[in-house]
Amino acid sequence: MTAIVSVTELSVAYRSGGSGGRDVPVVREVSLDVLPGQTHALVGESGSGKSTVAATLLGHLRHGSRVTGGSVRVGGADVFALPARELRRLRGGTVAMVAQNAGHALTPSMRIGRQIAEAGGDVPVVDLLEQVRLPRPAELARRYPHELSGGQQQRVAIAMAIAARPKVLVLDEPTTGLDVITQRGVLDLIGALRDELGLAAVLVSHDLGVVAHMADEVTVLRSGRVVEAAATGRLFAAPQDPYTRRLLASVPRLDDEGLALVGAAGEREVRPRAVVSGDAPVAVSARDVTIDYGSARAVDGVSFDVRRGEVLALVGESGSGKSTLAWALAGLRTPSGGTMTHAGGDRPSGDTKSGDLRSGDRESGDLARPAGKRPLSLRRRVQLVFQNADTSLNPRRSVGDAVRRPLRFFGTVGSRAEAVDRARQLISDVRLEPALAERLPAQLSGGQRQRIGIARALAGEPDVLIADEITTALDVSVQADVLRLLDDLRRERELACLFISHDLAVVRGLADRVVVLRHGVVVEEGPTDAVFSAPGHPYTRQLMAAVLEPLPGVGPVVDGGENTPPTNRRKPYTQGAP
Amino acid sequence: MFSFIARRAGAAIGTLFLSSVLVFLAVQALPGDVATQVLGKDATPDAVSALREKLKLDQPAWERYVDWIGGALHGDFGLSLVSGKAVGGEVGMYLGNSALIALVTVLFAVTGSIVLGILAGLYRDRWPDHLISTVSLIGMSVPEFVVATVLVLCFSVALPWFPAVVLYGPEASVGQLMPAVWLPALALAVVMAAYIVRMARTSVIDVMAGEFVTTARLKGLSTWRVVTRHALPSALLPTLHVIALNVAWLAGGVAVVENVFNYPGIGKLMLASVQNRDLPVIQAIALISAVVYVVCNLAADLGAMALNPKLRTRGRTR
Repeated sequence: MTAIVSVTELSVAYRSGGSGGRDVPVVREVSLDVLPGQTHALVGESGSGKSTVAATLLGHLRHGSRVTGGSVRVGGADVFALPARELRRLRGGTVAMVAQNAGHALTPSMRIGRQIAEAGGDVPVVDLLEQVRLPRPAELARRYPHELSGGQQQRVAIAMAIAARPKVLVLDEPTTGLDVITQRGVLDLIGALRDELGLAAVLVSHDLGVVAHMADEVTVLRSGRVVEAAATGRLFAAPQDPYTRRLLASVPRLDDEGLALVGAAGEREVRPRAVVSGDAPVAVSARDVTIDYGSARAVDGVSFDVRRGEVLALVGESGSGKSTLAWALAGLRTPSGGTMTHAGGDRPSGDTKSGDLRSGDRESGDLARPAGKRPLSLRRRVQLVFQNADTSLNPRRSVGDAVRRPLRFFGTVGSRAEAVDRARQLISDVRLEPALAERLPAQLSGGQRQRIGIARALAGEPDVLIADEITTALDVSVQADVLRLLDDLRRERELACLFISHDLAVVRGLADRVVVLRHGVVVEEGPTDAVFSAPGHPYTRQLMAAVLEPLPGVGPVVDGGENTPPTNRRKPYTQGAP
Repeated sequence: MFSFIARRAGAAIGTLFLSSVLVFLAVQALPGDVATQVLGKDATPDAVSALREKLKLDQPAWERYVDWIGGALHGDFGLSLVSGKAVGGEVGMYLGNSALIALVTVLFAVTGSIVLGILAGLYRDRWPDHLISTVSLIGMSVPEFVVATVLVLCFSVALPWFPAVVLYGPEASVGQLMPAVWLPALALAVVMAAYIVRMARTSVIDVMAGEFVTTARLKGLSTWRVVTRHALPSALLPTLHVIALNVAWLAGGVAVVENVFNYPGIGKLMLASVQNRDLPVIQAIALISAVVYVVCNLAADLGAMALNPKLRTRGRTR
């Protein structure tokens, strides 16, 4: 069988800084072939050039980029040699793309029905919407993109891509940004459509679980080069390159007993979970907390305690109220009912080392009050780390400045010179070079920025740290490092940590206890080991089943998608809410 | 959707009410007694008090405001202190002449500048962009009376295509004024278009780099369709309010240019009545300017609603 897509020694360069700039190579001599009906995955971390390669299949390059060598052939045609009219025909017919973020990829001023109809083909819009399993298609077609949920938007983007019945589907991170359950649904849909329509697919992903689940062949990219290419089963069972091994080892697993530490060659060692002593004092306690957004109830009667040195995970899909709860604890949103208290008290009683006792430090604090009305000492001790470090740091201030500000603000240090020293100390505490303090946020990588976010939160010397999806936007190896840092910090500083995530596997190695939220209500709660070995609530089981692990020997889905997926080795996959 | 329109319209009416109060108070606060101003320093006290009574200056201010605004709502702005004719009719006549210029200006400036802005945005960093951006920068930095004078030099003196000044009075017919409209309109359009071109260029560049435009391209659509159907609605959104402010600016910009060309429009009337202390006319013109501003902004808001479905569908459920 001849390949339908064939990329040969493709090189792409980006010209930096206007006409006088230098060529920066982003893709170097990449080759790959995709047979009809096959799914080929491009795997790599940010900056690996995987999206650039995928976009060349449609003859698309980013502004300022150009092909410096090699060729791309799709369905026999040399894509970059095609005249404009032919290229448009190729895009409208032979190959179609599903972009990463459907929320941004759909035109906001156009009804979705018209957008789908525009993509060509003879299939009626309503049939297409039905095919991507969207409810009430006729009514949905008249809506605008902003009136749909994230998962629905992604389904619309898929409907648009299959409208003209292409032969090749390019999927650029099709489920990144969706929560695990929605992701599972979209992947099952893609798998089913692919088999139904006999599509070849090129799947771009940084998520090895997704790749193991979907692909026949895998090409691993790093800095624009092919590191390793193999059939999926072989690659996951016996990765050859150390980079691939490291990447695979960094993925958190549902059966890890503690946090996985990954070595340079990809060896994996599971560190036993930190032991929280039975008499560790409670740092934060929430009782029957209720939070409303106007008439909608986001959090309904939630209670929990977090002790010093303990990590409590709040898990749930988007809209479950977990972030709302975190924001309320941080004082950014006022609860409409219940109590949230900070226990006060620096160390267990009898400990005299707890040096500087400012007034109010030992009293318990009311966390139901907004941050602006909390006394300084209480504000200092409950700190939030944001999901997106890139948008939560001031782009025009050096990161050292970002760490120094809270130092001066909370009066933790006296003089300016002391603040500079302390900031450098904090930056090295989060395992970064202190010299990075002079840089601007844009000059750091995503993982480095997130560490700065943590350093900034630590500047107030908090005893409660709220981490709101802090690893969601990070690459898998960077995620592993940040998780390890958080684990180290809570051991060193006896931090009470509230860790919020939609991904159960991420929580597994770090958290001591897990609270599962759904529609603002706690459906399950308990020690991590107990919850994972015997999940009591169907929703927890559903969450666990939705986790995709990069398991050796797991092939692509072969069933219709709505049935029990073969990767599910544990409890049966329970169909819950849509 | 209707609550959005109702709120905007309500805000517009509120703004108009406040500005009418301000206009009235500002005129009241002018130094000196109106009657003495009109009759001159040598007037007899009898004549002054007679005029005061005629102008109802002996009544409290709020009663005069209610009288004035009540009349204004019916188009009755009182009598001119200079000519003794009804202010409404006189202002209306000049306003009509100015509207002729404004209409031509808006037609040329808005359509022209949007097209140029889009071209510049689409050909970013290539010669059409450089040309359009440079010319619009020059148009922005040169004041309108200079542009007007240069135009007169070129197209009336050097090339006698258009009249340099208007020789007709305010009663002139449209046909008589038509040849004289082009140069003032062009002068205003050059200045006004510069801002709109730059704004349109920036937002077109922003939107064309957006993911949904890339998606539309990768669907295999033609560039024309991508630009008109996908990019333009979003790109025009930020431009709308710049257009509205510039159209409203015409109300003042017209005054300078009309004086250069001796065009019998509202700007000329305004200058004359300020010199003559013809207070009812000044009040009327100030109020009309406020109406122009408010109406332009209301139009921009409603236009934004037409382009942005998020504003239209608010309150509908998922």
